[in-house]
Formats: sequence, structure tokens, C-alpha cells
Amino acid sequence: MAKGEYLGEFEHIVLLIVLRLGDGAYGAMIRAEIERVTGRSPAIGAVHATLERLERKRLVSSWIGEPTAERGGKAKRHFKIEAAGISALKDARGTLERLHAGVSLQEATA
Amino acid sequence: MTPPALAQALVAAVAPASDYEIVAGDLHEEYVRILHARGARAANRWYWAQTLLSIPSLLSYSRSNKSILGHIGVALIAFAVLLAMVAVLMAIELAVQRISGDSNAGPGWVWLCITYADAGVFGAILARLVRVDGLRVALYAAIFLVLCFVVPAIAGHPGSQAPLCAWIELAGVIPAMCIGAAFYQIAVRKVGNIT
Repeated sequence: MAKGEYLGEFEHIVLLIVLRLGDGAYGAMIRAEIERVTGRSPAIGAVHATLERLERKRLVSSWIGEPTAERGGKAKRHFKIEAAGISALKDARGTLERLHAGVSLQEATA
Repeated sequence: MTPPALAQALVAAVAPASDYEIVAGDLHEEYVRILHARGARAANRWYWAQTLLSIPSLLSYSRSNKSILGHIGVALIAFAVLLAMVAVLMAIELAVQRISGDSNAGPGWVWLCITYADAGVFGAILARLVRVDGLRVALYAAIFLVLCFVVPAIAGHPGSQAPLCAWIELAGVIPAMCIGAAFYQIAVRKVGNIT
């Protein structure tokens, strides 16, 4: 895998969250889920900038929904993970598993 | 109850054109949820924190897939606008000197105000001409100004040793351009929401 194709830590988190939420996930929903799962409260701008980067890498795709009243009459951008996104997640997990193989975290902290 | 107006204006000023409505909608949705759960104070605090933390990210990306020719076109427009801005300033300076009969008429707080107003107007014109992400283009123009005036001076280029007041003037022109572009962007997006 070329250097530019690796997922950054936040990209990895956002991609996993899009996968967890399924088709139709959108910015506020993704941000809230990241907060619920990781305890981190990312800025909505960071979430959108990351989603745009993932879309440029063709790991996710997006489409604009209808404006709704609870959003002050503003539309949502929905996201769904693409096959390349699933593949990137598999690669990332494989890399992490290989890195963890044979390493005892308990010994390291003792 | 609506989110803080100034924070909304900040989002309108910095969000990419393609995503302004999306980002503002996401913020609004979570704001309403926090408002019902924890009250207005917590919701306002959350909105402000999200807005301020989002500024670097929102300024850093754009969905517009401009070609190289598109980028060159924007750079040429920005350059033409900068030249027009300087030409207007020079014309005003000449007119002031002619009216006052003083060939040294120029610097002073009135002149600074005229300069900054001129820069603000041209920042807005730039935002209008390139239509999308005016604030970002104004920032590029500001960088261009710095490269044209500051770098030659630092490098010791003859003829670029401007007096201190000229540097102060230039330092103010850059934010003035950005403020002009931001105001244009806010106004357009507010009008877009109303209609």
C-alpha cells in the first residue's frame, strides 16, 4: 500500500462510524456517534473535512437530502461506505493485527 | 430560540460554498437537541465551541474540483482585482493632493480608513467575482500581497524599503480584504436562507 493510501487515525474512526451507521449517515449523526463511542467530541468541521477527504479517495460516497425543519430548513449530506472503503478498513485491521502479534501489552506496562 | 447570530455568521464566513448549508444544518440540529436537554446556556456554549474549533478545518477544504486552468483563472482574477484596488487608491491619493495642493498629502488616520475601506470593497468584489469561497480567495490574495511586498523587502531588494507607516498600512489591508470578502459571503448566505 502506498504511503498516501493509509488511513489516518481520525479517517479510520470516521470510516468505521459510517459503516456502523449504515447508508444515510450524515454529519451530525456521525459526530454524535464518534462522541458516544470514543468519548472524544470532534468539531463538526473536522468531521466534514475528513468525510470530504474520504470521498476524494473514493472510500465513501455522498448525496444531498431534503431540507428539514429540525435543521432550520437546511439539507443533509448523506454518506455511505464504498467497496474501496471496506477494503481499506480490512487492510487497516490486518496491519494492526500484524503489529500487535507477539506483543504483550501487560508485560510492556509492568 | 436560535443559535448565536455571531457564531452563525462565522460559520457562513468560513464554510466552503458547497457545504455551508450542510454544516450549518448539522450544527443547528445538535444545537436544538442540546437546548432541549440541557438548556440555552449549554447549547450556546456548545455552538460557540463547535464553531471556533471548526474554523481551521472548514477553511482547509473545498469540494470544488477546479482544474489547473480554473485555478489559474482564479489567480488571474485575484491579480486583476489587486491591481484595480491599488489603482483606485492611487487615484484617490492624486485627487486628494490636487484638491489640497499638498503633494505630500496622504498618510494619516483618514487615509488609513480610505485604504482599508478600499481593500474591504475589493475583497467583497473578489468574493463576488469568484462566487465560491470568497474568504479563501481573499486569503490567497493576501498571501499574494505579502509575497509581492514583504518578501522583496526582507530580501533587501532596492526600491522596496518602504517607511514603517506603509508596512502598517499593508498589514491592515490584508485583514480588511478578508473582512470585506467575509461580509459579502455572510450577506449572500443570509439572503439565500431567507429566500
